[in-house]
Amino acid sequence: MGRSVWKGPFVDAHVLKKAEKSRESGRNEVIKIWSRRSTILPQFVGLTFGVYNGHKHIPVSITEDMIGQKFGEYSPTRTYYGHGADKKAKRK
Amino acid sequence: MLDKLICVGAIGGGFGVQGDVRLRSFCANPHDIAKYSPLLDENGKTYTLGKLRAMKDGFTTRINEIPTKEDADALKGTRLFVLRKNFPELENDEYYQSDLIGLMVVDGHGENIGKVKSLQNYGAGDILEIFYKGSTALIPFTRAIVPTVDISAGKLIIDPPEGLLD
Repeated sequence: MGRSVWKGPFVDAHVLKKAEKSRESGRNEVIKIWSRRSTILPQFVGLTFGVYNGHKHIPVSITEDMIGQKFGEYSPTRTYYGHGADKKAKRK
Repeated sequence: MLDKLICVGAIGGGFGVQGDVRLRSFCANPHDIAKYSPLLDENGKTYTLGKLRAMKDGFTTRINEIPTKEDADALKGTRLFVLRKNFPELENDEYYQSDLIGLMVVDGHGENIGKVKSLQNYGAGDILEIFYKGSTALIPFTRAIVPTVDISAGKLIIDPPEGLLD
């Protein structure tokens, strides 16, 4: 069941504070967060968060199409190492 | 580098009594394993794949060099390789994971940081996992953070933002 619209998206206050501070400073840094439950807001676009997965912080560069998702969706708690074979990687 | 053998699949044993084999594909698109036929094993022996039939966890196929079920069962677990030069050319800023794995990672001053262990993609772009100070570190594979990829020299030059390698 979805969240009531009148409440607005949920974001932990400390995440907002850290993002604001980083944006104001203009420094190129990874913002470490533990709050996987927070929603990705439009003001986070362009920032890089290190989202904790219980083991380490996974770097997540926020783009427009991630708005509305939760941080935890981009930081899985289980890792699978398959074969490289002919799999490709694209440098963005 | 182009003569490097890349593992693209494995034989899973015999299937039925006619000499067919079960085949596992590790390719990005599993059906692409047929494009790379004939495949090689570790000793350089070739295997020519017939028509692939999909089944649970892979395919069944007939391999010309394997005539009987006993031969197929004996080859269970054999890994199948293809020469790197048989892979199609890629566009700019696209790389095969097998080319990137094992590259040295250095910073802008030429100081050695680590070695690429694997590549992951959790939905927010490709991430390099590197061996770093007895553990691993994750680095987004972007032009800003990895400005230079020099596969022929065997190294990546990175410009990590503050806090990335902590």
